[in-house]
Amino acid sequence: MIVRLAWRNIWRNKMRSMVIIASVTAGLFAGMAIMALYKGMMKSRIRTVIDTETGHIQLHAKDFLGDLDPTLFIQGDEKMIATLSADKSIKAFAKRTITAGMVSTPNGSSGVSIIGISPQEEMNVSGLGKKMRQGKLDWPAKTRGILMGKKLAKKLKIAVGEKVVITMTDTADNLISAAYRVQGIYQSANAPLDEVNVYLSRKDLQDMLGLGNQVHEIAVTLHDDTLLHSTVTRLAHQFPFLAVESWKTLSPETSLMAETVDTLSYIILVIILIALSFGIMNTMMMSILERRHEIGMMMALGMGRIPLLMLIMTETFFLTITGIPIALATGTIAIEHYAKKGMDLSGMGKEMMESFGFETMIYPDFPSDKIGFIIALVFATALASSIVPIVKSLRMDPVSALQK
Amino acid sequence: MRGETSAANLIIRTVRPTWSREMKVRAWMKGADYSMILINAPVRDRGIVFLKRKKDVWNWVPSIEKTIKLPPSMMSQSWMGTDFTNDDLVKESSMVTDYTHVFSKDTLIDQRECYSITLLPKPEAAVVWGRLVVCIDKERMVQLHARFYDEGNELINTMNSFDIKTMDGRLIPTRFEMMPSNKKNQKTVMIYESVTFNRTMDDSFFSTDKMRYIISQ
Amino acid sequence: MWIVQLAWKNIWRNKSRTAITTTAVSFATVISMLAASLKEGIFNNLIKNIVSSYTGHVQVHLKGYQDEQVIENGFVPDSLLRKKISAMPGVASITSRLESFALVSSGETTKGCLVIGLEDQEQRGFTAMADKLIKGSYPGMQDKGLLLSEGLAFKLKKNILDTVIIIGQGYHGSSAAGKFIVKGIVSLGSPKLNDRLVVMPLAQSQQLFAADSIVTSWAILLNDDMDPYASARNIAAAGEQYEVLTWGDIMPDIKQHIEADSGNMQYVQLILYFLVGFGIFSTILIMMAERKIENGMLLALGMTKLRLQVLLLCESMFTVMMGAIVGLLLSLPVVLYLKFNPIRISGNTADVYKRFGFEPLFPTSSDPAIFLRQGLTVFVLGLVLGCYPIWVIGKMNALKAMKK
Repeated sequence: MIVRLAWRNIWRNKMRSMVIIASVTAGLFAGMAIMALYKGMMKSRIRTVIDTETGHIQLHAKDFLGDLDPTLFIQGDEKMIATLSADKSIKAFAKRTITAGMVSTPNGSSGVSIIGISPQEEMNVSGLGKKMRQGKLDWPAKTRGILMGKKLAKKLKIAVGEKVVITMTDTADNLISAAYRVQGIYQSANAPLDEVNVYLSRKDLQDMLGLGNQVHEIAVTLHDDTLLHSTVTRLAHQFPFLAVESWKTLSPETSLMAETVDTLSYIILVIILIALSFGIMNTMMMSILERRHEIGMMMALGMGRIPLLMLIMTETFFLTITGIPIALATGTIAIEHYAKKGMDLSGMGKEMMESFGFETMIYPDFPSDKIGFIIALVFATALASSIVPIVKSLRMDPVSALQK
Repeated sequence: MRGETSAANLIIRTVRPTWSREMKVRAWMKGADYSMILINAPVRDRGIVFLKRKKDVWNWVPSIEKTIKLPPSMMSQSWMGTDFTNDDLVKESSMVTDYTHVFSKDTLIDQRECYSITLLPKPEAAVVWGRLVVCIDKERMVQLHARFYDEGNELINTMNSFDIKTMDGRLIPTRFEMMPSNKKNQKTVMIYESVTFNRTMDDSFFSTDKMRYIISQ
Repeated sequence: MWIVQLAWKNIWRNKSRTAITTTAVSFATVISMLAASLKEGIFNNLIKNIVSSYTGHVQVHLKGYQDEQVIENGFVPDSLLRKKISAMPGVASITSRLESFALVSSGETTKGCLVIGLEDQEQRGFTAMADKLIKGSYPGMQDKGLLLSEGLAFKLKKNILDTVIIIGQGYHGSSAAGKFIVKGIVSLGSPKLNDRLVVMPLAQSQQLFAADSIVTSWAILLNDDMDPYASARNIAAAGEQYEVLTWGDIMPDIKQHIEADSGNMQYVQLILYFLVGFGIFSTILIMMAERKIENGMLLALGMTKLRLQVLLLCESMFTVMMGAIVGLLLSLPVVLYLKFNPIRISGNTADVYKRFGFEPLFPTSSDPAIFLRQGLTVFVLGLVLGCYPIWVIGKMNALKAMKK
């Protein structure tokens, strides 16, 4: 009987019911939006580092990174490559030969990291193709082409097509130099790296260093960011003689930023959920307040306090139940829309950000893992927040309530 | 001037817009592969020795009694503050083997008739220059002038030689000035006070052990 | 104006209703204040941590030093100018430094390093090197000692009381060479620094590089709320031969990260406003529903719609103003409390912070500008929402309204 009464009450005052439904919907929508944005932000935040700098994981011989000693190459072989190729979490990997050296031009010289790459592999792992500003990421056979960062090219006053001399020590500790032509100029989000990294054909570098087929670094990207920890553990287990490191160790400053934003977002999320609860509570209070006359009437007519409480709660329950799917529907549509289209951050100095190669778009991501939590929270809040005002009204003297 | 042995006393002057410095050095050279440079003045740097063997450069510093092999990262640094880099000591890319030579019109340098030779780097040569122009005194067969261009045809360095004198039976320029084009009032001057040629020098003379004792020679 | 008086009386007539609406507005204010001040506080604190650990907020060099960081581009510190800068508004401390690239050698191992000469141990505000010591102690003037960074000590296989040699290029071309005792080992968060830093007293470094009285930079720390750009402008005006750079100029990649994250947070705040705005709106909605009869009555009795709209607008204004003021007053103690008792973070974030030597704390910012801005925003928000009653009245048909 209470249920039927509750149902009728809802339809009786459409306005009030709408408002409550809207309150719940808005709350849930906001909760979803914030989680989606947060998730999207986190992804894009580290996207730059992962997609264009370090990759998810890097493998090196132990101690290689300290000095870039060319003799410390990865003791790898066909089996290693096969294992990596077969690994389900791994999307792509790039093999690199690296050594420290110098690049000289008529205008001066600069210390650099000389990195031997395969253009195809790099396109899949570090997006080097997208960073090209001039020239091409490609070495037709026999051309000794080198890629340079924009910052370095500017410092050395060198342009595409011009000649530079690279100098380095080979594995026998001999100093060797070779003339190369600038094939292309790239620019990444990390200017300090641009000044130090130059790229040339891996085969060329291996030959010059006397390395045969060996490489010093394998950079790995995964299908999903969440696979990071498990993949690192697995690879470390499979190749115990190598140093297997994630971007968090390779780029601790980024980790610092990412973690700060992570925690900050969490705090804000808590604040938002509080706001959400309060909003719903306020709405309920308003509506109960308005119904004081009605409640007083029911009490005077003999309705017990408990049944009355149940009645109101049931009404709230129905309204909340209605609000939730609406929010889910609109929220999902909005999130999916922006997930594809992306939200533009250009309000904040787009040119400046682009000159750094920064992404100005965020792609919100549907928070499928947290959605259950949010729904439960909204639900609980709605019900709980209707209790307080009801209890207050129930304590009233029916007569004075009627007089209002 | 290269190609055999030589032992020289040199003054090297570094001239900058706001300061200048003078060093006295003694330099031994054998071919393009071996050289030893001992610094005699100023006092603070006295006793410092640089040794080059093929492509490697060592540095002996008496105040800390230590011989250091220069890593590639140091090569781009200027040598003792001059307009030459550590790399220049090593590179000595052979003007003969790394370039093809083309004669152009004769020119006049300091009132003297000179051959003008354009040197174009061979494709595989590890040299930064786009081309060089070298002017040689026809009569005395000494190099009086050299210009270094980058590939964009911009003049980067100019080297002039003066004071042609006879030393140890040879006619050589005794003053060289190296001037970078893009920096005002800046140059490095090298003056030969005396030089002897073709005295016997064993390869073993050019060794890291000899570095610490060379000052007494 | 009687309308204003009537509005005021109306508000107090129905205390509960007013209370609820005011609460909605106060809550909105408190929430937005909290979110904004937390965001400001956290980011400022992060920046402060980063700049205090080495670079300072602002640096003064000789013009051209930033492009070519060699000792030749050092300057003789002008003590008058230094005093002048010290006295400028917002300047907390200023310190001299000499930095130069050199080689550090022990036995057969020679590594490139950055030698920094620091002025005195207590660099008021800067995280003293003494705090970063993991072994040993800071060298005194007579000790002929130095500090090695952790990574460097490891590569050279050196420990306290061992001897190392520093060799390099001195001022004006003279050579720099010296034997020193390792007095201590420091640990720095950034691997770039941790792998190559050598620290010694300023006077000693000047002697080593034959750079009598020369320094390469003045590093300046500012007070918490001082804008680095404004400060940089002040200083630049004082000396033309110097270049004055903010930390953003010196570490552009970190600045980018922070700005991007800051911007992302704006979206989060937007959602917050949406949420709290909705809370306010729903109370107004219900209020208007409840007063339908009353309003209809007023119109029927001859009040013009315009006057009624103005009346309701005044009521909204009062309510919003009261709510905003109460909200601001309430948020003040909360913000201040969190400023001096910051939130302690734990987990991954705390680990990363500690690794850099930062305290894992999230404080708020009590910058008055935040209070003003948030107060204003909520006020405007409330006002905009308070226009809803105007619309309702505009549409109203008095007779229909009075029908129950």
